[in-house]
Amino acid sequence: MERNSNDVRGLLSRMPDNTAFKQQRLPAWRSHLTAWAVLPGFFTTGAFFLGMGILLILSAKSVKEIEITYTSMCSNCAKLRENASNFYKECTCSVPFFIPEKMPGNVYMYYKLHNFYQNLRRYTISRNNRQLLGEDITNVENCAPFQRDSNGIPIAPCGAIANSMFNDTILLSYYPHSSTRINVPLLSSGITWWTDKHIKFQNPRSNNLPSAFTGTTKPPYWRKPVYQLDPENPENNGFLNNDFIVWMRVAALPTFKKLYRRIHRTGPFANGLPAGNYSFDIAYNFPVTVFKGEKGVVLSTVTWSGGSNLFLGIAYLTTGAVMWLAAFSMTAVHLKMKKRNIVSES
Amino acid sequence: KVDHREKKEFELLQFPNNRIHTSKYNVLTFLPINLFEQFQRVANAYFLFLLILQLIPEISSLSWFTTIVPLVLVLTITAVKDATDDYFRHKSDNQVNNRLSEVLINGRLQSEKWMNVMAGDIIKLENNQFVAADLLLLSSSEPHGLCYIETAELDGETNLKVRHALPVTSELGTDISRLAKFDGVVACEPPNNKLDKFTGDLSWKDNKYPLNNEKIILRGCVLRNTSWCFGMVIFAGPDTKLMQNSGKTKFKRTSIDRLMNTLVLWIFGFLVCMGIILAIGNSIWEHQVGDYFRAFLFQDEVVKNSIFSGFLTFWSYIIILNTVVPISLYVSVEVIRLGHSYFINWDRKMYYSKKETLAEARTTTLNEELGQIEYVFSDKTGTLTQNIMTFNKCSINGKTYGKLFSPLKKIFPLLFSYNKFQFYDHSLVESIKLGDPKVHEFFRLLALCHTVMPEEKNEGKLIYQVQSPDEGALVTAARNFGFIFKSRTPETITVEEMGKVVTYQLLAFLDFNNIRKRMSVIGTNDTFEFGGEGLRTLAIAYRDLNEEYFKEWFKLLEEANREFDKRDECIAAAYEEIEKDMMLLGATAIEDKLQDGVIETIASLSLANIKIWVLTGDKQETAMNIGYSCNMLTDDMNEVFIISGHSAAEVWEELKKAKEILFGRSTGFTNGYAFCEKLQELKRGSTVEESVTGDYALIINGHSLGHALEANLQSEFLEIACICKTVICCRVTPLQKAQVVELVKEYRKAVTLAIGDGANDISMIKSAHIGVGISGQEGMQAVLASDYSFAQFRYLQRLLLVHGRWSYFRMCKFLCYFFYKNFAFTLVHFWFGFFCGFSAQTVYDQWFITLFNIVYTSLPILAMGIFDQDVSEQNSMDYPNLYRPGQLNLLFNKSKFFICIAHGVYTSFALFFIPYGVFYNLAGEDGKHIADYQSFAVTIATSLVIVVSVQIALDTSYWTVINHVFIWGSVATYFSILFTMHSDGIFDVFPNQFPFVGNARHSLTQKNIWLVILLTTVVSVMPVIAFRFIKVDLYPTLSDQIRQLQKVQDKARPLKSHRRQPRRTSSRRSGYAFAHQEGYGELITSGKNMRVKNLHPTSGLGKTMYNSTSWIENLCKKTTDTVNSFSLDRTVKL
Repeated sequence: MERNSNDVRGLLSRMPDNTAFKQQRLPAWRSHLTAWAVLPGFFTTGAFFLGMGILLILSAKSVKEIEITYTSMCSNCAKLRENASNFYKECTCSVPFFIPEKMPGNVYMYYKLHNFYQNLRRYTISRNNRQLLGEDITNVENCAPFQRDSNGIPIAPCGAIANSMFNDTILLSYYPHSSTRINVPLLSSGITWWTDKHIKFQNPRSNNLPSAFTGTTKPPYWRKPVYQLDPENPENNGFLNNDFIVWMRVAALPTFKKLYRRIHRTGPFANGLPAGNYSFDIAYNFPVTVFKGEKGVVLSTVTWSGGSNLFLGIAYLTTGAVMWLAAFSMTAVHLKMKKRNIVSES
Repeated sequence: KVDHREKKEFELLQFPNNRIHTSKYNVLTFLPINLFEQFQRVANAYFLFLLILQLIPEISSLSWFTTIVPLVLVLTITAVKDATDDYFRHKSDNQVNNRLSEVLINGRLQSEKWMNVMAGDIIKLENNQFVAADLLLLSSSEPHGLCYIETAELDGETNLKVRHALPVTSELGTDISRLAKFDGVVACEPPNNKLDKFTGDLSWKDNKYPLNNEKIILRGCVLRNTSWCFGMVIFAGPDTKLMQNSGKTKFKRTSIDRLMNTLVLWIFGFLVCMGIILAIGNSIWEHQVGDYFRAFLFQDEVVKNSIFSGFLTFWSYIIILNTVVPISLYVSVEVIRLGHSYFINWDRKMYYSKKETLAEARTTTLNEELGQIEYVFSDKTGTLTQNIMTFNKCSINGKTYGKLFSPLKKIFPLLFSYNKFQFYDHSLVESIKLGDPKVHEFFRLLALCHTVMPEEKNEGKLIYQVQSPDEGALVTAARNFGFIFKSRTPETITVEEMGKVVTYQLLAFLDFNNIRKRMSVIGTNDTFEFGGEGLRTLAIAYRDLNEEYFKEWFKLLEEANREFDKRDECIAAAYEEIEKDMMLLGATAIEDKLQDGVIETIASLSLANIKIWVLTGDKQETAMNIGYSCNMLTDDMNEVFIISGHSAAEVWEELKKAKEILFGRSTGFTNGYAFCEKLQELKRGSTVEESVTGDYALIINGHSLGHALEANLQSEFLEIACICKTVICCRVTPLQKAQVVELVKEYRKAVTLAIGDGANDISMIKSAHIGVGISGQEGMQAVLASDYSFAQFRYLQRLLLVHGRWSYFRMCKFLCYFFYKNFAFTLVHFWFGFFCGFSAQTVYDQWFITLFNIVYTSLPILAMGIFDQDVSEQNSMDYPNLYRPGQLNLLFNKSKFFICIAHGVYTSFALFFIPYGVFYNLAGEDGKHIADYQSFAVTIATSLVIVVSVQIALDTSYWTVINHVFIWGSVATYFSILFTMHSDGIFDVFPNQFPFVGNARHSLTQKNIWLVILLTTVVSVMPVIAFRFIKVDLYPTLSDQIRQLQKVQDKARPLKSHRRQPRRTSSRRSGYAFAHQEGYGELITSGKNMRVKNLHPTSGLGKTMYNSTSWIENLCKKTTDTVNSFSLDRTVKL
């Protein structure tokens, strides 16, 4: 008897389990490209894309944007900067321009660089986030080739990115009349990402910022040390300087714009920039002509989808159109085939 | 070879001890050896090379962890697998090494572990013990130093084999002191793996005795029916034939494997090309732009020269773009195949409950090739048939009994208690009861004339040890009809006839051989002689002999035996003399039944365009019978060509005739010697084939096949054979079986499958692309050599049409998607190169590159590769035509590969240029700039993950819960890992490793970014959907149509089965089998195999026919003959 029961058990153990998984019978949905799923899908997606495209184009058009490239306008300064020996020489340049239409709401001021490769591999890795956290400001690992100066003193902030920081200062003036000149109030706050300002960049802990940076030296291309970047606002110095933080977020493409200032909406600018004559007063420090680059300033408003971006709208519109075209031709093919099938079946 | 313990020091130097190592590693050597082995694989070595490249700072464009994480993962998985395997090997090694055996040490028998046994030791073996080493049999409990062994572990054969000691040594018996003094010296061949051969001699007491295989007991055998024996160890441990045989098996690879390797090489070429393009780009850029830009970026430029910069960039890009050939490819393929193998093992529909046999995928690397089979080469006996002989019909005195199917009468089978014996005719039982003398004679003869050995198990159960199954069938039949064969001694046979025990004196025994095709037993009671002539449909005849005649004849026979030169002929003449003038009693019919479902399986496989060739050792008639009974040959065939010529010219003539019939006379027969062109033609594919209509069959026998396989005829033979619907090769040797397979493999470029169950099928199983073993009657040998095994031929249908088809389908889908995915993933770097000064800047975060293939996208594709089904299993079986795409290799080939690549390139293009267009002038909703590198990276990475997930969702045609979990889970995992890696906490700990802090939070809350992701996804996927929809609409494949049908079926339940009944047109149905081998006759009459205690003193005429030495010589001669003929065969045919 015992042997018998063993046999039975043995038999059961040899027999594969009758589970849906092992027998490949898991309940499943069989996907199939049916006309009922594909064609309406194409039509609705196409419609959505067309609508979205139109919406995006309209909103892109509604954005008021002015871009002024000032490299050629300030050719004197550009020339001066080509020679490294003029490093400490000041050069200012005034660029007048006209805003034909009112720029309503928040107006943002960007600097734009053409042909500046912030995305070169060796450039992007030439930084040390630990140093920028203020934990150990003498940590210049990974910062080659801008780790230490010729005396071996560590550079703070180290690295190629920091060293090449954009250092033009741009002021915006409004001329309500040809004789009156109003300096447009600009805010340097709120131009950085919150996480950059509060997590990624920290000043070394110290009551006195300059003393915190003792034992380090400024990057070679800088005029001032990092703790003197903003003489007006002591809070905006050291690694927490907004312009510095913006610069350190390297651009993806060789032509890029970075937020420089926000228009402070007070006084005549409470509703944005009125139409009229303006000028940029630029302290021209950043050399670009050596590498055939260009610099510019961009004034722009934003909409729900950000700044002016015609590409996205056009891409959506095109995609939508193509989808409809495809949907129509697929419908035609499908109906024809159906007809043929019916004919052949009958 | 020298022996004995006294010379131990000497032995230690020369001979290994009996410890065996099948394990490869120990704790210390595991890591170095395993790593060394793993890095011998090209893929692993390549990734090691990449890793080294990455450690060079000038080149390193990716952190070392992007390569090392996947590499370590892959190495670890493999190492764990190897370690587990080795652990089990260690365990079994230990178990075997620690087995005990009794060794004669210092004149005493002592228990000793196997591993301590030495060459030269004398070992005592007991019944049912495993043999510890290769032994020279010295003496045994049985008379004349005989012993029985079972060699199942060695060669899989389960029947007992006889070994016998030299007379001089068998005298030693169990005398320990004499055995201890035994100081013979054995000189023999060096260790080798030939199981059936041994040459050497024993020098003892100034005499030399030749030794052969009959005196050797090999390690791995089990001693049976022998209470003890003594043997001297000749080969121990690794020298034993068992261990010498455990060599590496031939490694089989699938055509997909080979294609994959080619493609991977192409991809490497492509990679190098891209590297060169980008390197040139870099040189130009450095020259034109970088030179001026340098002052701004680098104080001291290492790379001054733009050409040198280009050179470095080349290597940097090789590192970045290496993901086009991801390391996970090979691992994933292995995992998928393993999954498919498990499904085969788990399949209840391939489980044979009668024998509790599971289908088993013994090789886990060939599954998808099961979906591409074009030719099946099948053995007959035991594969198509059950190899269970049943006594089915008999004819006694002109009256036929047995299976008489009549539609009017319902027939109840007679059920017998023993063996579930069934016989469908009651009238026979009636006849026996009535005491019809002819019927009684008939069954008496069946009970007497055989070589069966009875074995009485406890509880009085009689077990018959049979040498051939048909003999067993006859004796069993006789037993069931009341003539029970009880026991035998060399001189007597005891039979219980209808309850009455009768003992017959055995006078002479004329064993079966293939020339006479009959066997006779001459015995006395009333003096009779029975003969069974031609064992096929066995005719039973008898002859009454008077004593004088017999004495006279016996004298003749003894003279014949004494004859030296022409002994065989004389004996044959003597046999002929007495086996004449016999009275015909009746005839028996033994049927070797077809296995269940064979006809359906063959029909279904034919519909799947799989050609089935039967290669059998049986004779032509038997093979043809089987052909008819399984519908491979039908009466409505246009022509059945039978090639049976004995010379090359005759075969040529016959082939020529066949060809004329096939193509008509006009085509003519090309000169058989102009075969080169022919072969070319064949390779190009068969346009000729299509022009021939009608069903033809080719039957060729072994002789003719030998000629047909010669170089000048093989092309013609192959051409004709391939046109014929059915090919049956009969009387073929194992080697010829393999040659036929090789021929088809080579010239048809087709995927072949060989299926068989016996030792003679091994060569065929090994040479075919896929070898299938039937785990059935003839032992395990074929199974051990096979890649897949199951119990019944009919499971082949399911293996090929369901498992094979799915495996192929899944593997192709997997590969397509895999190449697509990695091209889409990697080529984005290429496009980005044009916008980052070819500086080998990656588009993605390094962590993303590390995790993309192993975490974010691995599981959905594995789920698809393992679980996907296009049509249900039922439909796969019902529509064998679905198998066609696999044979034509339509689902994954070079052009498919290029389509996948193009798809990948297109996707990468969309993935890069849409974000590029948007980021060119992008500002965030709050005016802040988001066109930074990190946001760009996150946008493209997120788009990529979504695009490839949508794509896998489209590709998955069978959405189980696992697919859902994996696909949704992968996307969810991506986002959770993304947010984790961009979180404040992880940045605080590793600021330099995770610099993307806050990025996901900022970018992925921007509407713009999501619009980009949506646009990218739609643009990448939309054309695929449109293309597939149109394709299904315009050119639906069978699979598409059936899927559509399935939808309808699913709605309209219950399912209706679409199974087609195969038509039956054959006239002949049953296959009758018979044995070709000589039996135990001599052994029985000589009494050598009888226990001494069983030997009754006998009186009468019959003494043993030969004296012992002559018998042994005879036996030896026979064995060598067979060996010789086999080796001769081999040399000729090679």
